[in-house]
Amino acid sequence: MTAIATSTGVPVQARPRRAWAGALIGVALLVLSVASLFIGVSDVSPLALVTGGPDGRAAFLLIVSRIPRTLALLLVGATLAIAGLIMQMLVRNRFVEPGTTGVSEFATLGMLVTMVLWPGMALLGKMGVAAGFALLGTWVFLRIIRAVPVRQLVLVPLVGIMLGGVVAAVTTFFAYRLDLLQSLGQWAQGSFAGVMQGRYEFLWVAGLMGVIAWIAADRFSVIGLGEEFATNLGLDYRRVVAIGMVIIAVTTAAVLVTAGMIPFLGLVVPNIVSLIIGDNVRRSIPWVAGLGAVFVVACDILARVLRFPYEIPLSVIVGIVGAALFLWLLLRKGSRAH
Amino acid sequence: MSATRSIAALGLVAASALALSACASTSAEGDAAAEAPAAESETISYTWDRNTVTEEGADPVYEETTVEVPVDPQKIVVFDMAVLDTIGALGGEVAGAPLESVPDYLEDHLADDAFNAGTLFEADLIEIEAQQPDLIVVGGRSAALWEDLNEIAPTIDLSMRDGFLATLEANTAFLGEVLGAEDEAAAALEELTAGIDEAKAAVTEAGGSGLGIMVSGGELSALAPSKGDGDTRGARGGLIYDVFGVDPVVEDVEAATHGEPISFEFLLEHDPEWLWVVDRDAAVATEGAQAAEVVLDNEIVNQTTAAEEDHILYLDPTAWYIVFGGIDTTQRMIDDVLQIAGR
Repeated sequence: MTAIATSTGVPVQARPRRAWAGALIGVALLVLSVASLFIGVSDVSPLALVTGGPDGRAAFLLIVSRIPRTLALLLVGATLAIAGLIMQMLVRNRFVEPGTTGVSEFATLGMLVTMVLWPGMALLGKMGVAAGFALLGTWVFLRIIRAVPVRQLVLVPLVGIMLGGVVAAVTTFFAYRLDLLQSLGQWAQGSFAGVMQGRYEFLWVAGLMGVIAWIAADRFSVIGLGEEFATNLGLDYRRVVAIGMVIIAVTTAAVLVTAGMIPFLGLVVPNIVSLIIGDNVRRSIPWVAGLGAVFVVACDILARVLRFPYEIPLSVIVGIVGAALFLWLLLRKGSRAH
Repeated sequence: MSATRSIAALGLVAASALALSACASTSAEGDAAAEAPAAESETISYTWDRNTVTEEGADPVYEETTVEVPVDPQKIVVFDMAVLDTIGALGGEVAGAPLESVPDYLEDHLADDAFNAGTLFEADLIEIEAQQPDLIVVGGRSAALWEDLNEIAPTIDLSMRDGFLATLEANTAFLGEVLGAEDEAAAALEELTAGIDEAKAAVTEAGGSGLGIMVSGGELSALAPSKGDGDTRGARGGLIYDVFGVDPVVEDVEAATHGEPISFEFLLEHDPEWLWVVDRDAAVATEGAQAAEVVLDNEIVNQTTAAEEDHILYLDPTAWYIVFGGIDTTQRMIDDVLQIAGR
């Protein structure tokens, strides 16, 4: 957590370390994305593509299965990480993300509500309801945080995790009574095994939210300095917060409906980026998006390879790697967390 | 759904009526017992290796357990749908069960005033105690309830052991003995064995490899042949291979409870001749879930041999996923497999 970066817009002389890290993320993104295209149960190799393979199947699978899956991974990684970054700016706390503030749990509750009340609803409608609940969740969390007098670094996510626990308990109770527990679990478990053309397109909505975040990036930087400061600068604080809440809620819901819950991502990635280049949102958003994408693609490749030809749910891998990184961030020397 | 509700309501009314008339009936029963003490004491021993570890996923520790089962019990409470099926098929009647879980085609086997005994995983001990059953049967999902239930009434565990067919035979024969319907049990078993042989022959004649998959929440998992180590948790998926002789396209699917997660590409790559589909969402009646037909109707699956040849066969999800093991249910499974003959 370096000091807040200069937000003057004047190009800071690129220190070699940073340029190097940026190039590394870029190269990793490229290499992993290409690898992701060619790893899978069927034989889709560059060679098979050139020679046509059996009945041109390689090209077919590349278009119908591999490219969608890789795109979905990139979108999820980038947008969830951005949602985490925005959330951290709104709350002015480094240890929040949709998963530690109850937002994911509210979205899951929304899913359960659609399952019970409007079972026949189209996926877009389900996503809408989930997003609505996620929005409510963000709002509830922000209200509670305002009411908490002590704003210690770890206390805020703790409150969020407790809020999430309460909501998850409500969800579990009703899912249990209605015999939907396993179905809900199946849905909420993050996995990209079923992703193919026609089954991931909602993630573009999340992608759109990422773009909006990018456009409004400077505002979020200012929001991160606090309400008074932002208002003094002539910023409509409430409106920017509202935009941020919508970005977070819609991203969470879109990812939940298509792929399930992916823990820790929104927390770990912005923190690592902040360590490297600081807290200027405009400058860090591409880094956050890139590193988030790298993280998810790498984890999904592991998920596909470790038990080949079967798959491990992505959320399991992300959970293990993410938790380790989270602990490292918490216990790191000089961290303000303790 | 509404039918189950009304039965549940009926059960509730009946239960309260029973509670009210309890005093009156005890004296009558007392007289009967005094007149026929021999009939009261007639029992059959049932012995099995009981798993004393109830934690999910823990290694089992077995303890030989013997329970004296009363012959011709009047009030039977059943937590295992396969047992409910068999008791009904042998002409018996069940006084209490997890009513929410009883599939439509087994509702006839419940007594008119059947009461709700809880869920497949959790017993309503107070209600069962109040009903004073003569015999309680647990199995599979409810095996962990044995200890509590056995304090109320003689409780036996008819979980699947030693494979599907052995269990079907043992349980049917035993229940026939308990219900005084040995001949019916023998006849039913003979018919089922013949049916399974016929289905097996049809599978052999159709030829080609097969793969069992389960569809749930839009995701697929491969079902595993049993490894023959007596682990029955994966058995329901493996029945298609183990009992009906389908030649698995992949040998090494681990026998996980819900199969192994797979991608659509997996289907195309291994390209089984026949695809046997269990729609889990339909089995547990998840409302609004995508039907397996919809999930499987996509560009990748449509390229598989099974899809091109119209070889995707849908199995009765209730029979294969929830019940599996009773007399009527086995007949349904046989009919399911015989679909292959028409393709």
